[in-house]
Amino acid sequence: MSAPAEIVARLIPILGPFNKTNAPLSAATRFTEDLNFDSLIVMEFVAAVEDAFDISVPLNILPDVATVGELAVAIEKILTESTSR
Amino acid sequence: MADLFDRFAPLMAQRDALLGDGGINPFQVKMDELLSPTEAMIAGRRTILAGTNNYLGLTFSPEALKAAHEALEASGTGTTGSRVLNGTYSSHKDLEAALADFFQKDHAMVFSTGFLANLGILSTLMGPEDYILMDADSHASIYDGVRGSQAQVIRFRHNDAADLEKRLARLEGKPGNKLIVIEGIYSMLGDKAPIAEIVAVKKKFTNVYLLSDEAHSLGVLGRYGRGLPEEAGVEDDVDFIVGTFSKSVGTVGGFCVSNHPHFDVLRLVCRAYVFTASLPPSVVVSATANLKLIKQGGALRARLMRNAEQLHQGLTDLGLKLGSEVSSVIAVVAPDPQTAIAFWRGLIEAGVYVNLALPPATPFGYSLLRCSLCAAHTEAQIDQIIGTFADVALRLGLIAPPAAKRSAAG
Repeated sequence: MSAPAEIVARLIPILGPFNKTNAPLSAATRFTEDLNFDSLIVMEFVAAVEDAFDISVPLNILPDVATVGELAVAIEKILTESTSR
Repeated sequence: MADLFDRFAPLMAQRDALLGDGGINPFQVKMDELLSPTEAMIAGRRTILAGTNNYLGLTFSPEALKAAHEALEASGTGTTGSRVLNGTYSSHKDLEAALADFFQKDHAMVFSTGFLANLGILSTLMGPEDYILMDADSHASIYDGVRGSQAQVIRFRHNDAADLEKRLARLEGKPGNKLIVIEGIYSMLGDKAPIAEIVAVKKKFTNVYLLSDEAHSLGVLGRYGRGLPEEAGVEDDVDFIVGTFSKSVGTVGGFCVSNHPHFDVLRLVCRAYVFTASLPPSVVVSATANLKLIKQGGALRARLMRNAEQLHQGLTDLGLKLGSEVSSVIAVVAPDPQTAIAFWRGLIEAGVYVNLALPPATPFGYSLLRCSLCAAHTEAQIDQIIGTFADVALRLGLIAPPAAKRSAAG
């Protein structure tokens, strides 16, 4: 599935303060390999994303999210589900 | 071809960099002889134990020792079986009755460890349509438990009832039950959950249950030692209490108590209950005996709190950074892992054992020298712990010498 560009564009500024490796940020950026995220940083970053989008990201989906683009797809799905309840 | 253990290479490199210098390994401490609940021989040295979670000092209670000796002689060294097969003796049922009576709940279920109690309950209770809302700083057994659950798992910010409310509001209108998971006292920093606020949030929504892990607060909080819900006066609003016998109860084992009318069905579906051997009878009767002492243990709790106040005040006066207010757990925050290890070694070499806790096992990525108090600590022992912290902190340059501090203060 292609990453929703609008969500990726919103994610990149949120990611900024967590980008300790100064990696170029795009849909293809990988959290572990490119950004060196550990479990503590993941927790803080996910909390920032949840605030920005006013959603809760279930822990269950995190193992399947390796890139910024995959996170954008997951967020789009959560947003769709929460409006179609 | 890659070696099976290659994926641990970064961790092993980190371990060797931090600990590979030949000094005492904080994670491989050997207690050669236990002298009392508060003292042991470690590396040939008489050492004060200030990191054992043995909050009430009941590991050598005459009542538990006597009961355990008798059970050992009468029933042998182990049950060799599951609770649902040959591993339920009358002592197991007696302990469950004692637990239900202690907590004033209708049902109690004993597991083989506290870890297994969380694993068993949390992986089983909630179904695929349900949601678990857990505090982000939860213990590993809670994380592992919810990972085994079919429910959607949502974390809320540590001790933040407003954040929990926001997340419950987002789920409004969705089918399915919700379970909030908190801990009475959080193990690393010793801070308590804002349980009254959490209960207030719970009551604003429907189909929401609350589970509290009272591992560190059983025996410690509340007039009768029933933990944070008792202290806060919200026991009827806590649907499930999970706990362990390995801290204030002074032995090993875990439990869950509840008023839910169908609670007993969990005995058939909790895999961590069904597919493991039950506790040895000597352990079971020790727990029953010590539970009775805990209920009558107001004096022990008062002593524990006095000790906590003495240590907290002493360490604060030294100028050390502490992780929380006065609590049965007092954690000194070191600036980085290397300093924390040097600090820990300085303490152990001077005869004081505390826990070393390093990130990612700690909140905020803190490096901690975690002390837990015991009702059996004497005032002199606490003074010695404070004095040792002072000597080591001074040597490491973490605090100013007392004379310099006085002149700086004018």
